[in-house]
Amino acid sequence: MTDWIRELKAIVGDENVLVSPDELLVYECDALTIHKRLPRAVIFPNTTEHVSGVVKVLREHGLPFVARGAGTGLSGGAIAEAGGVIIELSRMNKILEIDWENQLAVVEPGVINIRLTQAVATRGYRFAPDPSSQMTCTIGGNIAENASGPHSLKYGVTTDHILGLEVVLPDGRIVNFDRHGGDALGYDLVGLFVGSEGMFGIATRITVRLIQLPQAVKTLMADFHTIEAASRTVSDIIAAGIIPAAIEMMDQATIRAIEESVFASGLPTDAAAMLLIELDGLPVSVDQESSRVIYLCRTNGACRVTVARSEAERERLWAARKNAFGALGRINADLMVQDAVTPRSRLPEVLPEIYRIAERYRLRMACVIHAGDGNLHPTLCFDGRDSDELQRVDAACKEIMELCVRVGGTLTGEHGIGVDKIKYMSLVFSEADLEAMNRVRTVFDPQDLCNPGKVLPVRRCKVF
Amino acid sequence: MAKSLLASNRIVSSEMEKLRACVHCGLCLAACPTYAELGDENDSPRGRLYLMRAVVEGRLSPMTPAFAHHIDLCLGCRACETACPAGVRYGRLWAAARANIAVHRRSGHLTERIERLVLNRLFVSPRRLQWLFAPARVLRQSCLLDRMVRTSILPPQLKTLLMLLRATRPPRIERLRLTTGPARGRDADRKALPSSRQPVALFVSCVGRELFQHTNRATIRVLQEHGCRVIHPYEQVCCGALHAHAGEVETARKLARKNIAAFERCEGDAIITNVAGCGAMLKEYEELLADDLDDRQRARSFARRVRDISEYLMEIGFRPGPRSLKVRVTYDAPCHLHHAQQVTKAPVELIRRLPGVDFTPLAEADVCCGSAGLYNVIHPQLASDILKRKLDNVRHTGADILLTGNAGCLMVLQSAVIEAELDMQVMHLIELIALTYE
Repeated sequence: MTDWIRELKAIVGDENVLVSPDELLVYECDALTIHKRLPRAVIFPNTTEHVSGVVKVLREHGLPFVARGAGTGLSGGAIAEAGGVIIELSRMNKILEIDWENQLAVVEPGVINIRLTQAVATRGYRFAPDPSSQMTCTIGGNIAENASGPHSLKYGVTTDHILGLEVVLPDGRIVNFDRHGGDALGYDLVGLFVGSEGMFGIATRITVRLIQLPQAVKTLMADFHTIEAASRTVSDIIAAGIIPAAIEMMDQATIRAIEESVFASGLPTDAAAMLLIELDGLPVSVDQESSRVIYLCRTNGACRVTVARSEAERERLWAARKNAFGALGRINADLMVQDAVTPRSRLPEVLPEIYRIAERYRLRMACVIHAGDGNLHPTLCFDGRDSDELQRVDAACKEIMELCVRVGGTLTGEHGIGVDKIKYMSLVFSEADLEAMNRVRTVFDPQDLCNPGKVLPVRRCKVF
Repeated sequence: MAKSLLASNRIVSSEMEKLRACVHCGLCLAACPTYAELGDENDSPRGRLYLMRAVVEGRLSPMTPAFAHHIDLCLGCRACETACPAGVRYGRLWAAARANIAVHRRSGHLTERIERLVLNRLFVSPRRLQWLFAPARVLRQSCLLDRMVRTSILPPQLKTLLMLLRATRPPRIERLRLTTGPARGRDADRKALPSSRQPVALFVSCVGRELFQHTNRATIRVLQEHGCRVIHPYEQVCCGALHAHAGEVETARKLARKNIAAFERCEGDAIITNVAGCGAMLKEYEELLADDLDDRQRARSFARRVRDISEYLMEIGFRPGPRSLKVRVTYDAPCHLHHAQQVTKAPVELIRRLPGVDFTPLAEADVCCGSAGLYNVIHPQLASDILKRKLDNVRHTGADILLTGNAGCLMVLQSAVIEAELDMQVMHLIELIALTYE
């Protein structure tokens, strides 16, 4: 047994260290399986001190490391790209404190997103960021990727809900970043840390804002004959000054895949696209807005507009939407999901163009779209054993990205850059931009050990 | 040996396409009781599927202890199937993996040899099982059993078995403080019964025949109250679920063929079961016998007739008896009913229709209690962690009676309730229903 393994076992205990290659195998990828790298070990710390001690040992031995939660990320962000050690935070999964008066909670990074909402829902609260993987993904992972979800349209993304962080820096020191009350003291290091994709350190204790559940919620479902009509409706709703809690779009391929799954909930399989629109707030304003929204759907040619009649029906619709990605496995087993962003106003022209790209490359595609904020998830469904098809997937992805950037959009809305989108970074950033980012990174991690190989492209033997 | 090894690799290989159905999204993780306890990807459904895939692709040897360990640690509760948007048939794949491991273990440990002996020699014949369980029944009635459970000299695994045996004692009705409400026109109800006596076949199950006769009697009583004539074919044998889960697939197939033949000969459309684990197996005979075309056809017609007692009562129009029971109850969903058979609404609906019964839903009712066959004997620590969580939720309901629908769950839960000294009775849903006719 090598020294570093012995030292790690001394800190966290034998049962919290995996080193057998047979057991490391499952840790070679996250939810985007085309990127694989076997780690040298997986460590399960239970406390902040464990994390700090582990990081110090790894640093001494010059071993790179990466923090991991539930491994539901879709950019290869939690794989040991440099062949280092995975620090798995799933056992640090306690809700440490709920402060009802100040509407905040303190949690460990391995707490599953939905568990926090479940713990506070009985008293009328929730944790707002609700990524589709919220049944499984961890709050630590949400912080790394600055995750969002359908309801981010109205309630903002993860960083808007983080009030404080205890962080183990890449040299093992434990520090606290604070922005209690929403305003940071000194530099807003919470803002800097959230979305740093695990490259600035490991958050071990997280203070989050809890928000009150709305008094009234109304969920509408509208289906359309064309994607363009559905996209125009989205633009019209926003242009009318209405901010729904969420506007989600699903295309026909997605709807059909869901309807074949255990999450089938009577979605219209004959529609070219459907919108799931949620309005919330005070009962009177929800009623007013919903009649406006129904009117706008109708004027854009919606075939049917229906309103969820009960909380159970509403939950079923959301479960259907949130399980869409997995359901696409029914089209083909290997999925390449993109996370492109386009300005909302350009949706009606960009979407048909994306379908044309997929068609040109003879690829099957399904699309789910956080339409309200222009975040597209075109998902290419292919067979990874067919190398020709794999190449076509790659080429199509590149064209989709270039298209979105050309119309004023960007590379990622919520999945992060990870290893998957590094190759597109130069589409949106200049050398000077990348250099600035790299300088920030080296302040936190001068030895380049904390999740190396992610986000920033490496060129001419230097990182940026 | 070489032949069977090949055969088992074929089992897994033929499942490869089904393995590929997993898109690795990870939405099953939180639904998995072992992942919830251990937090290790190797002990999650996604991780186990990844291991199976690695074996099929030749990246991992099926003989590695790690593979066997993580596959064995699975409870087989199939909660992941309810959570899976891609429709991966985890239960089948897991059984195939177990079969693969069983083949490679042929020369295995003593405990495994004993397990195989019990499964392949005793559980194949109702007569031999009678010999095994007759002394157990005598012991169950005696106070010696209570003393044995309390002593510290017995090995813990034997003690667990004895505690399970103690938990199979029929519920003590007099303890339940049932208050009888006013009888509601019992004679009128009687007249409403259909005059033709509808024949139904009862699958009695091994545990039902040997230890849960009271549950079978209650089932027959309730069916009779609904105008059914209950037949139980003499030739029926064990359903084979224990064998399939332990990887003894060939024995499971033999038993399946015997049961199909036994029930083909008997009249009655429906085949009723009150053990969720058996029900799940019976309904999957078609998949078990998929290799042979003729077998498969017959298995399909057989499987279509199988109903859990709760779903059958809902189908034929449930009429509770006239007696009103003033009790507070809760319900823990057996995994093999809820996840494997997807019978989720019928049991709760039946409870809600019982006169006078106050129903409090149980938090995490769809999460495994850790029973899973002999899981608590083989993996005592993990099983007790999983059970502890269940018991905490049960305690919160404040119920007098905890209802369930599977012999295994019932034994584990009753045993835990006795140990925790809770003032609560665990019983099969059908037994409570039967009391309304008393």
